[in-house]
Amino acid sequence: MNEKTMQVTPSVDAETDASAASLSDRPIAIQVNDLDFYYGKSQALHGINMVFPERSVTGMIGPSGCGKSTLLRVLNRMYDLYPGQRATGEVIFSGQNILGSGLDLNALRSRVGMVFQKPTPFPMSIYDNIAFGIRLHERVSRSEMDGRVEDALRRVALWPEVKDRLQASATALSGGQQQRLCIARTIAVRPEVILLDEPTSALDPVSTARIEELLDELKTEFTIAIVTHNMQQAARCADQVAFFYLGELVEVDSTARMFTAPRESRTQDYITGRFG
Amino acid sequence: MGNEPAHTVTRYDQELDRLRGLVARMGGLVERQTARAIAAVVDQDEDAALEPPELDTEVDALEREAESLAIRILALRAPMAVDLRVIIAVLKITGDFERIGDYASSIARRALKVEPLDGALSFGALRNMARLVQENLHSAIEAMVNNDSECAMQVWNSDTAIDELYTAMFRELVTYMMEDPRKISPCIHLLFVAKNLERIGDHATNIAERVYYAVTGEMLPALRPRGGAAKKSG
Repeated sequence: MNEKTMQVTPSVDAETDASAASLSDRPIAIQVNDLDFYYGKSQALHGINMVFPERSVTGMIGPSGCGKSTLLRVLNRMYDLYPGQRATGEVIFSGQNILGSGLDLNALRSRVGMVFQKPTPFPMSIYDNIAFGIRLHERVSRSEMDGRVEDALRRVALWPEVKDRLQASATALSGGQQQRLCIARTIAVRPEVILLDEPTSALDPVSTARIEELLDELKTEFTIAIVTHNMQQAARCADQVAFFYLGELVEVDSTARMFTAPRESRTQDYITGRFG
Repeated sequence: MGNEPAHTVTRYDQELDRLRGLVARMGGLVERQTARAIAAVVDQDEDAALEPPELDTEVDALEREAESLAIRILALRAPMAVDLRVIIAVLKITGDFERIGDYASSIARRALKVEPLDGALSFGALRNMARLVQENLHSAIEAMVNNDSECAMQVWNSDTAIDELYTAMFRELVTYMMEDPRKISPCIHLLFVAKNLERIGDHATNIAERVYYAVTGEMLPALRPRGGAAKKSG
């Protein structure tokens, strides 16, 4: 059988090959080495090893409680806000292990931004929602701030909808607009990585499509990691997909490979809807 | 195609089972069509000659039914991985079966015009070729029903023999036609029969390729082994 399998083209198709190759050629934005994570005594992640290639979208899928959101929270040390949670191993970002002590967490979070499942606009004006984050990290003039706010809102395609009411409360926006505002707020501080935790699960299909379209544009500039329960969304948006189960990384591969011919039967059972 | 655990959604499994049932039935029908068409020629059996065109209506209806079910599953279930591969394979295999049915009908319609030629030309070579084609078609269908990628690979590798037999028959018939122009008409009919059989063999190979992809997720190379080239690379 060995000799026979040698004749077989070891991939899905040429385009899949090309995208997988270009992904592996890409510089690495974040490298995770032997990561374990604990909520108190219970271990939520077991020996995770994976890379997030620069300027690409990594989709993270798996059933509830599989550890995908936990991993996302490690990448900007969100877990530090809670006592009893700890991570061991390495997460290398810009040549530095961000799990090490003595790290400036505010600086880290300005470089690794996060967008949550439910839109979380601050109870202030649309303008100030964007300006707030910038002011935390930089001193900018009024006119420069105007420019930064407009730029951020334009990039999430929200500008035409809100340009005449920048001083209106952000909470009056629709859910989809609020989520785009949150993404604008995140990119306004010019991060390198954007983490999204189920960013469209509370949105209607049109708003969802807009966010997905946005991701396609943003990935030319940012490294994006997205946790989603929507398999089709991972298929549509991601360049590579990682499947997590019971705190383990079961498989990570190019998106086309994962959804047409995954290597692991656990991956296949999950994405085809065979999990009992 | 489908040794996996059950889907959480039972209806999904039922739909996939129905789809598999439809192609399996198509496979059974075209095997019968092919067998009867061959019998019509080599045994000069008039009853057998009537059957393949009759069965064709049913084959065509099954193709349409399988196709619309496959499209519905694609639209409503958004199948992934092995499910997706099986549905794509089914869509293509039903097309192959439909073509095989047409070739068998074409052979059957021609059968009684292929009067056995006196002397040297008997149906011997045709019988040999027909046996190989039937074996390959049968194995391809078995591979499909049993998700057997190794069996599919064997079919894929054994089409060469059929091609070689066809080439030999072609040369033989050309010789007869040159020797005696009165033999041109029966020889041409026999040549078309052989060509149609050879095409059925090709579709059996196609089916084997689709089965291999559905089961393993890997595509067989675009070029399958052919004559001398295969021997060199094999």
